[in-house]
Formats: sequence, structure tokens, C-alpha cells
Amino acid sequence: MCDDPSHAHVHAHGPFRNLGHEHGPLQVQVERRVLESNDLEAQHLREDFAEDGTLVVNLISSPGSGKTTLLEATVAELKGKLSVGVIEGDVATERDADRIRALGVPAFQVVTGGACHLDARQVNKALRKGKFPDLDVLFIENVGNLVCPTSYDLGEDFKVALLSVTEGDDKPFKYPGIFSAAQVTLITKTDLMAHVSFDLEAVKGQIKTLRPGGEVLMASAQTGTGVDAWCGLLAARLAAKRAQEP
Amino acid sequence: MHETGVAMEIYRASLQAAEAHGPGHLERVRVAVGELSAVDPELLAYAWEAVVAGTPDEGCPLEVEWHRARQSCAACGQDKERSEGSWLPVCPDCGEFLTVEGGRELDLLQLSYLPDKPGGAHV
Repeated sequence: MCDDPSHAHVHAHGPFRNLGHEHGPLQVQVERRVLESNDLEAQHLREDFAEDGTLVVNLISSPGSGKTTLLEATVAELKGKLSVGVIEGDVATERDADRIRALGVPAFQVVTGGACHLDARQVNKALRKGKFPDLDVLFIENVGNLVCPTSYDLGEDFKVALLSVTEGDDKPFKYPGIFSAAQVTLITKTDLMAHVSFDLEAVKGQIKTLRPGGEVLMASAQTGTGVDAWCGLLAARLAAKRAQEP
Repeated sequence: MHETGVAMEIYRASLQAAEAHGPGHLERVRVAVGELSAVDPELLAYAWEAVVAGTPDEGCPLEVEWHRARQSCAACGQDKERSEGSWLPVCPDCGEFLTVEGGRELDLLQLSYLPDKPGGAHV
């Protein structure tokens, strides 16, 4: 959100101007972004991740689209090749982090207790508490929600929107915020494609409109189809990030 | 539904801004919300009421300045009406991509703050 040129006028954090009268209420000019503290925290995280050479991926989708199952398949594929860690966000339970840890991969569960998204402060806290080793790739699995997580920068390199074929082929236009913000859309549960009505070309067309140049990948965590291409994308992005380092 | 989180952030930022003026309470808070910010002004107002309830600032109104996005088509060379709720940056007439400006505001603009000690607050 902060790359919007219309925000240029509010970037000053400067001192407040007192326009008030001696005895009445003070009129205090503030002019700052409401989510400024999150954005600043995200910027610190981004700098730390750049220094560490860690690729950070923010996974966003509706609940039940297969984020954790895809992560299980992904960490299995990457095991022995890359050092991987996972931060899980859920309203309740340690269930997802348990599933990842069962595969021998470090994971930290953020339990939001009701909040519909993760914010940068929670990620920072998770990193401190999670005691992760040096990581090549950090996955942040956001709370299942196609709306709210979009507004919160977590210091990630890019957002990935997951869309399972069972959710229907009209979702990008119905939830344009996330499908505009995600560099990559990953169509999941493609093994079920034959059983549901899902117009792949329509989805690709919607994404092309919302995010020209956005990548669309397809995968089935059940059969493993497409997981290698997804992991290939991650490896390429990691290599590109490290090539940028001074 | 993250309006509650946004309202909490507005309150936190307001208190932070007011801090320099000594103890007191908020009389009015003004924010800018853009139509592409994914924040519903009515829900935000409800959330705000709940956030300030039980605090010294209970009852403080939140004023929302609503900002529409402006979009123009380079191909047609003119501004295009944005239909309410539409995020599709495509010209309805020629199908070219539109240039979208503004509409993403989510800013804390101004507070009206009454210090407990009249005239006692100098920055």
C-alpha cells in the first residue's frame, strides 16, 4: 500500500502542529499512515531477511484451500536441498505447526486468538521465539482469509495467493485485492479438476487483468504434480535474491 | 473484518500523537479512508466505538474522510468513472489498462485533544 504515490504527502512523521487555542481543545495535525508502525516493522524485517539471504514467502488464501498440505509437500521436496522454516498463523490450535514439525522442519505457531491476519510484529515475535536456524526459505502461512492479510506487509519477498479448484473460478474478480497483490497465484488441488467445474482459462484471464505479468502455477499436493515447478520457482527466486546482495 | 485491528491502530497512533500534550482526552479523530483500502467506513466506525469504550476517550467520534480513486485511460485520453466496488483497472470503453490514482488512503489526519490542564500543553 505504501508504494502508492498518493501517499507521498503523509510520509512525514514530523512534530505535531498545535493549532489550538489556549483553553479549548488542541487541533493536532498528525498525517501518518494508520498502518505505519506495521510498515516500519516490516521494513526492518525485510532488511534483516536481505542481510541473512533468506527468501520469505507470504502464503495467503481462504481456509481449506490447501496451504498446509502444499507446505508439507514443499518441505518434503526441499528437504536436504534447502534449509526451510515455517511460521503458521491460525486463530486457534497448534495443529498446523505440529504437522510441519512432524516432517522434521522447524515451525512456530502464531495463535491470533481471533485476529484475521498476521502482522509484522507477530512475525518478529515468532522469529525470536521460534529459534530458527539459518534459513534459505521462510514460509509464512497467513490466517485463512482472502481479504485482511492483504493489507499487512510482513517483510516478505512476495505474496502467493492459493486458489483451490473446488473454490470456483470466479474468485480473482471477487477478491481483487489479494489477486492484485500476489506476484504468484498457485492453483491447488488440481487432481480434483475433473470432478468440478473450473475454467482455468477464465482464472488466468482474471489474473492477467488484475496483475499483468503475475505468474500462475498449478499443483496437486496429493499427487505431487506441479510441486517440482513450484519448488523450482522458489529456488530461482532465492538465487535471484542472493545475486542482488552486495 | 480487520476494521477492529485498524481501529485499534488508529487509537494507538492517536494516543501516541496526543502524548506530547500531557494527560487529557480525545474529543475527535479524523481519518482518511480510500475506497481501495479494503476498509469499510461504517464497520470502522462501529469498531472504533468498541475500541474506545471503557477508556477515558469513550464516545470520541471518528470522522472518516472518504477518498475515491481516480482513473484515466491513456488510449481514450480521458478520465473514466469507476463503478462502486470495482477494482478492475480496465477501460470499460476500449479495454486498455487504466491508470489508477489514489483510493488507497488509510491515514490518521488530525485529532482534537483536550488536555486536562488548560493551556498547560506546549510542545
